[in-house]
Amino acid sequence: MATVEERVKDVTARVLNIDPTTIASDANFGADLGAESIQSVELVAMFEEEFGIEMDEDQALSVSTVGGASEFITKVCQQQGVEA
Amino acid sequence: MTYRKLNGDERRVLLNNDCSATDWDRIQVAEGFDANRVDRVEFVGSIRIGKLAGHVQLDGIDKPAGVRSATIVNCTLGDNVRVCNVRVHLANYDVADGVCIEDVGTMATTPGATFGNGVEVDVLNESGGREVTLFNELSAQFAYLQCVHRFRPAMIEKLNEMATTYAAGQLSDRGRVGRGSSICSVDEIRDVQIGEGARIRGAARLLNGTVLSEQDAGSFVGSGVQASDFIIAEGASVDGGAILKKCFIGQGCRIGQQFSVESSLFFANCEALHGEAVAIFAGPYTVTHHKSTLLIAGLFSFFNAGSGTNQSNHMYKLGPVHEGKLERGCKTGSFAYLMWPCRIGPFSIVLGKHKRRFDTADFPFSLIEAGADGNCNMVPGLNLTTVGTVRDGAKWPMRDQRLGSARRDRVSFDVLSPFTVGRMLTGSGRLNKIQQETATDVDVVKINGVQVKRVLLRTGQKFYKVGIEMYLLEQVVAQAERALADGESCSSAFAVAEEAVYSDEWLDIGGQLMPRRRLDDLSARMAAGELSDIRAFHQALDSIDAAYAADQWAWVREHYPEVFGRDVVAAEDDMIEAADALLQVRSRYLRQVLADAQKEFSDTSGFGHDGMPADVARDFTEVRGTFEQNRFVEEVQQELVELASRIERFKSDIRQAVPAKKQVS
Repeated sequence: MATVEERVKDVTARVLNIDPTTIASDANFGADLGAESIQSVELVAMFEEEFGIEMDEDQALSVSTVGGASEFITKVCQQQGVEA
Repeated sequence: MTYRKLNGDERRVLLNNDCSATDWDRIQVAEGFDANRVDRVEFVGSIRIGKLAGHVQLDGIDKPAGVRSATIVNCTLGDNVRVCNVRVHLANYDVADGVCIEDVGTMATTPGATFGNGVEVDVLNESGGREVTLFNELSAQFAYLQCVHRFRPAMIEKLNEMATTYAAGQLSDRGRVGRGSSICSVDEIRDVQIGEGARIRGAARLLNGTVLSEQDAGSFVGSGVQASDFIIAEGASVDGGAILKKCFIGQGCRIGQQFSVESSLFFANCEALHGEAVAIFAGPYTVTHHKSTLLIAGLFSFFNAGSGTNQSNHMYKLGPVHEGKLERGCKTGSFAYLMWPCRIGPFSIVLGKHKRRFDTADFPFSLIEAGADGNCNMVPGLNLTTVGTVRDGAKWPMRDQRLGSARRDRVSFDVLSPFTVGRMLTGSGRLNKIQQETATDVDVVKINGVQVKRVLLRTGQKFYKVGIEMYLLEQVVAQAERALADGESCSSAFAVAEEAVYSDEWLDIGGQLMPRRRLDDLSARMAAGELSDIRAFHQALDSIDAAYAADQWAWVREHYPEVFGRDVVAAEDDMIEAADALLQVRSRYLRQVLADAQKEFSDTSGFGHDGMPADVARDFTEVRGTFEQNRFVEEVQQELVELASRIERFKSDIRQAVPAKKQVS
């Protein structure tokens, strides 16, 4: 089964139309991967759907890196009783 | 004022001063007339001149009152005026006290002039059918209804009648320059009324118009301006070579820097610089600042046009017949292009070149961006939590430039109101329905010409939920706070006033928000002939405006149960729960706004130019400051703190005011 980070990378790759293998854990969504603000919103929506969770927009949008997103999502999954 | 004929001494002085008259007996003067202050003047026809003494002040310089080097034809000159160097003639004008007219070519009124009143302007639809009649007391509301509500023919007939009657009342063979006005270095003024305290400097040509002006709200017409068939309202400024043809420039507007405008109406506090406008209805606070921006055949208000904004209203078929509506609070990005007909919901942002038509009226606060594939992509509700929306909402009331005795346009400033929140409820419902009906393997859905990514259907609902809940809870808590402050019981404060009107749908009538039923009633009263003139019409609008709070509360009472599953109840537990919910949702909203503001501090690209890597952050901080020290950020942070205190205070007050035992409303 894919890890949280792998799934985060996979979603990121789909939204930003890039190769998932090129995404590093410390990659910044904006500066490194070129995510515009609309794509950031889309990423949050896609993560919610992928993991079956609900995230606060303000907290989710303040996460800037792929690794950070993985940690944040793991935490939210635990809080919401969802198996990641 | 009492006038008399010139006496012999005065006539001799005038002759010595190279003056002439077609008939000296038709020249009358008031007590205090000083013939020594009149020289090289040719008098034609009937002339009256007041006292000539002292000075007039022109741009800070005191100049002697008097009449010099001018041909004056059938004019009345008030006390202590200065009329100098009129190169062709000053004809058929009543010039009030203290006026200065200097270095003017022709200034004349022709018989039957109406001074811009009665001019019909083809607004919104360039091919006609939505004509608005110019008149001095035109308001944004009158114009909006006359232009937009053509589906109410009985009301339109009355509005037309009112405007025409008013315009006919302005008909005169004589023009007027109001007390204390000054007109300097103007080539040609024909059939133009000028109010009190107006300043006209270096205008090229003013034809058939009125410059409304008051001492406390002086209007300005500046260098190189060419205007015909126009009305410029109190406190407006038209400058910098602007070209105006068939237009209304409302109170506190600023038009300049070579802006060109035709067949258009600008209402309170609009700013139009550099660009071009044709057949637009610019409601309050419409702003266009950039070159290469064309606004055409569109309805705007609280609008900001990005550079190069452009629209097409003409498909080379039946002429320029298409119209566009950008509802209040919209913005366009640089080189945004729209193809009419198109309608965009309130407070939305439009980016890119849109070659498809769409209607997003049910989706306020959206971002609508043109994709490279030609699709119009919408993120519903995204703009609700942006810094720009919050800043705009705060700045508009602060930037009201209107001064003087009357504010003709009624302006509702609220960003969140039954108008916008009602749209959010509708939009949210539609998004939910589409989400339920769309399979999860679908990537995008089409809604009224725009494309929305399926996953964003839910995001849009989340954004709207924040806006809806925040608005309703704020209204309820604020109503309770008012009741507590007034020593009133919450249960009575929560009652809907008898005079309140409820409509599910609210309308934005040229900047004034009101329940649909209020307008329907107004329309019916007009059709029944109950409102006989413009004053009565505007009084009716004022009454609607005065009922805004009561009507809004009626709307809140109706929709609160729909959103929260129970009615507004003035019981301690419920009020505390509502206050806590407000704290939570408003705080979350403000944090989202802060997150948006934070983005402005995350991209340092281009900073530290020519420096070392360490200089990037230093350069950025020196120029942009830090997130924490940004004034807007500080204000939002402060609001978060104050909100928490406010809610604690409210809860304490409510515990004292409402006994623990539940009180039923």
